[in-house]
Amino acid sequence: MAESVRDRWLSIGMSVLLHGSLIVLLALGWWHFREPAPAPTPPIDATVVDARTLKGVGVAPTPSPQKKAPPQAQPQQPPPAPVEGPPPPTPDEVAMRQQAAKEEAEHEALAQQRLQAREAQRKAAEAAAAEQAEEAQKAEEEQAAAQAAAQAKKLAAAQKAAAKLAAKKKLAEERKLADEKKLAAQQAAAERAARVADLNQSLQEDERATAASGALASWTSEITSRIQNAWIRPPTAQRGLKCVLNVGLVQGGSVTSVSIGECNGDDAVRQSIQTAVYNASPLPAPPDGIAFPSQLIITFQPTN
Amino acid sequence: MKPTPRMASLLRISLVVLMGACLAPTAARAQLQIQITSGVSNPVPIAIVPFAEAPNNGTDVAAVVQHDLVGSGRFTELPRNKMPGTPTTAADVKFADWKAAGSDYVVVGQVEPVAGGQLAVDFNLLNALTGQSIARQRFVGTASALRNAAHRVSDVIYQAITGIRGAFATRIAYVAIAGQGGAERFQLVVADADGYNQHLILESRFPLMSPAWSPDGQWLSYVSFENHLSAVYVQRVLTGQRSRVSMRAGINGAPAWSPDGKKLALTLSGDSGHPQIYVLDLSNQHLTRVTDSPSINTEATWSPDGRYLYFTSDRAGEPQIYRCAATPGSIPERITFTDEYNAGPHVSADGKLLAMVTRDDSGSYRIAVQNLTTGEFRMLTPGRLDQSPSFAPNGASIMYAARPGQAAAGILATISVDGLTGLSLKPTQGEVRDPAWGPFIQ
Repeated sequence: MAESVRDRWLSIGMSVLLHGSLIVLLALGWWHFREPAPAPTPPIDATVVDARTLKGVGVAPTPSPQKKAPPQAQPQQPPPAPVEGPPPPTPDEVAMRQQAAKEEAEHEALAQQRLQAREAQRKAAEAAAAEQAEEAQKAEEEQAAAQAAAQAKKLAAAQKAAAKLAAKKKLAEERKLADEKKLAAQQAAAERAARVADLNQSLQEDERATAASGALASWTSEITSRIQNAWIRPPTAQRGLKCVLNVGLVQGGSVTSVSIGECNGDDAVRQSIQTAVYNASPLPAPPDGIAFPSQLIITFQPTN
Repeated sequence: MKPTPRMASLLRISLVVLMGACLAPTAARAQLQIQITSGVSNPVPIAIVPFAEAPNNGTDVAAVVQHDLVGSGRFTELPRNKMPGTPTTAADVKFADWKAAGSDYVVVGQVEPVAGGQLAVDFNLLNALTGQSIARQRFVGTASALRNAAHRVSDVIYQAITGIRGAFATRIAYVAIAGQGGAERFQLVVADADGYNQHLILESRFPLMSPAWSPDGQWLSYVSFENHLSAVYVQRVLTGQRSRVSMRAGINGAPAWSPDGKKLALTLSGDSGHPQIYVLDLSNQHLTRVTDSPSINTEATWSPDGRYLYFTSDRAGEPQIYRCAATPGSIPERITFTDEYNAGPHVSADGKLLAMVTRDDSGSYRIAVQNLTTGEFRMLTPGRLDQSPSFAPNGASIMYAARPGQAAAGILATISVDGLTGLSLKPTQGEVRDPAWGPFIQ
């Protein structure tokens, strides 16, 4: 028993463990599902660009929400970095400078324009990369979520299957139990019926026996009184006498033979009892349904 | 535990067995057991068919037997005119006819002459219901002993059917008074128990009283007032040889032979005038006084074991019966309490019954018996002047002296101890009294 107890504890432990892990998994899945952990997004360094300059720059397509996919969390847009311009020029210089500046400015502007374009390009590239990364992450996340979901689904399915199996098993057991119960009930009923039948039979037999024994008793007493009236008791037939006679009868009650068995009486007593039985012949007819016995045992035993 | 079909069937079988066990005694009783716990005391119906008889002195053996048996009260006869035939041997008996005629038993027999001028009596007692022969015997004797042979037949039949030894072939002694006035003759007579076959033993001008048989039946003791003096004699019955055993002063009376035949109990008064009980040793004439009271003590009789004497005493005023050890100085114990007058005790041979004369409320003297074990008291005879009860040796009957009617002569009669059957003996001439029933004849 100790082993089985240990086994039981082991199995309970295992089950607790299994359930615990299931619960953990479920909770994890649930949590994942409800509040997906913020994806580790790399810091984005972005500049405001005129959208017109960015012609041709592709816009990341917004991922179409996946069917049955959990709602996509909106990635937080990092705030745009502040932009600073160059200081304003002096008036003397203004002319020349204006020229130069103009030229330079033009040049600068051009360079700036190019730089800006490059920057924009880079930024666009970066943004694209970021977007790509984000998309990848998103995809990854989606995949993980999907995986988790799938796993959860699988688990749920497994659980469902297990439950179903358990239910099925339970049902089968119940059915089996019910069947057994039904069978037992049937058997019990059959047995009870048999017993009742037996009882009825025995009651009937008892009734018949009672009726018969009543009839028998009166018949017996008829025979008894007939023989007692026929028995001329000799003086030597005193109390303490006991003689057993085996009396042969034929149908109609005629005595055909009298043989004396155990008898402590003298010859006179033997004569008297033999004579009494013959004188009582024919004996009264038995009640209906009782055959005339072919033999009677008659005991002569005076009580006084 | 689930009952298997096997178990169920086992259960059923055991139920059946149980039920069978319960029913079995009923069935057995039904088939076999009858308990007979009582019977009737009716007389047994018997047919004594006339014997085939050789010429004799006129004795009808069958008639004698029938008279004996019917007179005992235990048999009832089938009258000859109702007999379905006169068979004389068992082979001739058609049992069904005799059974139909109501006889349980049939007696057939023959008397035929045998060598030496004697007669042989053969009889066969048959059970009419079974056809079996129960007893058959042959008695041979002189023609004069034919009645005695018949009594012997009666004895055998009586014992075969009642289980009690018959006492028909026994004798009685009594006193008869012949003649009248001053010419009376007192006779001591011995006869068969039925009163026939009388033999005069002693005849006297003086009163004779109280004959008593010796236990062997060879002797009689009696009181004779020869020469006006009372004396006790013993006399050999067959030879008449006699001797006087007591002739003391006063009363010499009421002799009673002890069971061993060696002693006589006597009533002697001596000079005192108070009769007392004495025991006389016959071998040496030694006399022992048993009672000692200033009252009348008389009529002693022995208990069958010889240890006690029952006697009549008026020590309580009226006569009652007492018992004392047959030894000097014993203290008498009163036995009778029923009635004011009880006298003349006689004890049955089995010591169970005490017969006596009792005076009933009407003043009638009657014979009664008292069971010495239970004290039960039973009046047997009708009275009015019944005296001297004497048991038959088989204890089945009592003989006594009666005086039926006013101033009639005394007669002898018998009564069965159940009081149901009485029989007067053949009337004798004159008056008879003081009967004494003798012992069985060996």
